[in-house]
Amino acid sequence: MGLRDILTGRHQVKDPAPDRLFAITTAYVALQSEHQIDPTGSAAIVFQSLATSDFESTLKDMEEVVTATGGDSGTTVSTEDDSYGYRWMILRNPPGAASVEDLAVGINAVSGSIETAGYGERLLCAVFAFADAQKRRVCFIYNYKRGYWYPFVPAPGDAQERSTERELQLKAQIGSEMPIEPELERWFPLWGIPI
Amino acid sequence: MCFCDNLAMVAKRQSFGKDTGLQARMLLTLFLLGLLYAVFVGVLFAAGAGASVIVVIAVVLLLMQLFGSDKLAMAAMGVKEVSPEQEPELHGIIDRLCVQADLPKPRVCVIETSVPNACAMGRSQKSASVTATRGILDMLSPAELEGVMAHELSHVINRDVMVMTLASFFASLASMIAQFALFFGGGYGNDEEERDIMIVILVSVVVYVVSFVLLRTLSRYREFAADRGSAVLTGRPSALASALIKISGAIERAPSQDLRRVEGSSAFFIIPPRAKKSLMNLFADHPPLEQRLAALERLESQLQGVA
Repeated sequence: MGLRDILTGRHQVKDPAPDRLFAITTAYVALQSEHQIDPTGSAAIVFQSLATSDFESTLKDMEEVVTATGGDSGTTVSTEDDSYGYRWMILRNPPGAASVEDLAVGINAVSGSIETAGYGERLLCAVFAFADAQKRRVCFIYNYKRGYWYPFVPAPGDAQERSTERELQLKAQIGSEMPIEPELERWFPLWGIPI
Repeated sequence: MCFCDNLAMVAKRQSFGKDTGLQARMLLTLFLLGLLYAVFVGVLFAAGAGASVIVVIAVVLLLMQLFGSDKLAMAAMGVKEVSPEQEPELHGIIDRLCVQADLPKPRVCVIETSVPNACAMGRSQKSASVTATRGILDMLSPAELEGVMAHELSHVINRDVMVMTLASFFASLASMIAQFALFFGGGYGNDEEERDIMIVILVSVVVYVVSFVLLRTLSRYREFAADRGSAVLTGRPSALASALIKISGAIERAPSQDLRRVEGSSAFFIIPPRAKKSLMNLFADHPPLEQRLAALERLESQLQGVA
């Protein structure tokens, strides 16, 4: 932000950082083989949904594209609006075929078509769901503005608590495999993840 | 790679038009303030050594204002910081907006009063805090609250506290000299010195009056810019408009005892806590509601692609 922007009180919403979404496709191998953290077969992309006809039609086209490309692997797509007014587009692998690659390709298709339509600034994050050996949920969140990943381990149930200890362990375990958000205060929680 | 970049730039569409007019008016106001201050400083130095002492004192005051005033104001208004466990919804809204704005998370505070309002404080993005009153949390829907919080975060992004404090530095200095002269005026040495001092005092009074109007104008422009920033951040200009209508309606009905408690620092509230409408728009630090709503309506039309 330059001096002129400060003086005139002007700012723009940042477009997505260079894409490092696909880091998850190499990182999950290490997660699975070395740390017994398995993908659950679902992932989601979160964005602000604009109430304009142009945006709605963009979403409709996109859903068709993702459904069509997911047809081979059996990936299903569903959408959900959360209480904060953000839209979740949820991709699920068929049972027994948890393929992180397919999910990443699908998520990338969604973000790609949102960006192509000129709404890249509306992308918030992507979430990939995992479960550890004790069946505890472990999420990896990709922040589109920053181009970084961070782990998020919510406590079971509805309580809005997270296990920061577990998250830091995960960072130590997987930090060399994927670009982890260096600033801890930007590991924003996402409560009520619907996947 | 070049082609890809070019294509991306062509494909990039702007949800909102430019606000060249607002920016030009803001730069003009800043220019006039700068010009005024330059003349003022010139007169002070021409008047001699006594003036430079005043400048040193004023710089100390400015630093105190920059580094201490927000804590003082926060203590006076009964602001208390809240944890995510205490206010999960408010924190959730701000978390998402911070991701969207690529901003480090400010401290989140609440004032336990039924008057619906919100404000942003802190001289830098690192030391910033955003505050909501209990009244606003109870009154607004999540989307409206998000619009209001995005307005406050826009103040943080635009560094409005810093800009306004620095912009009003010489105005405070001028008011200090004018007041100082009122208490201790007259009776110095020879005629020539006395004439110099009179000139300094006169200039100080003029600078104070003119800068007061300019600063209020600047403050109104910063409000428009923050409204716009909120619309850009959330993509929902009409949610903020709806919130402003609700808040201003409630503030006009609110009892005045509560208003006095929050009177202190109205510049950074989303709606200034005053019971009656100001007739003198020139001296108001917030633009009138109708103008803000009209500006938000224009943004919504741009978003919908009909303007």
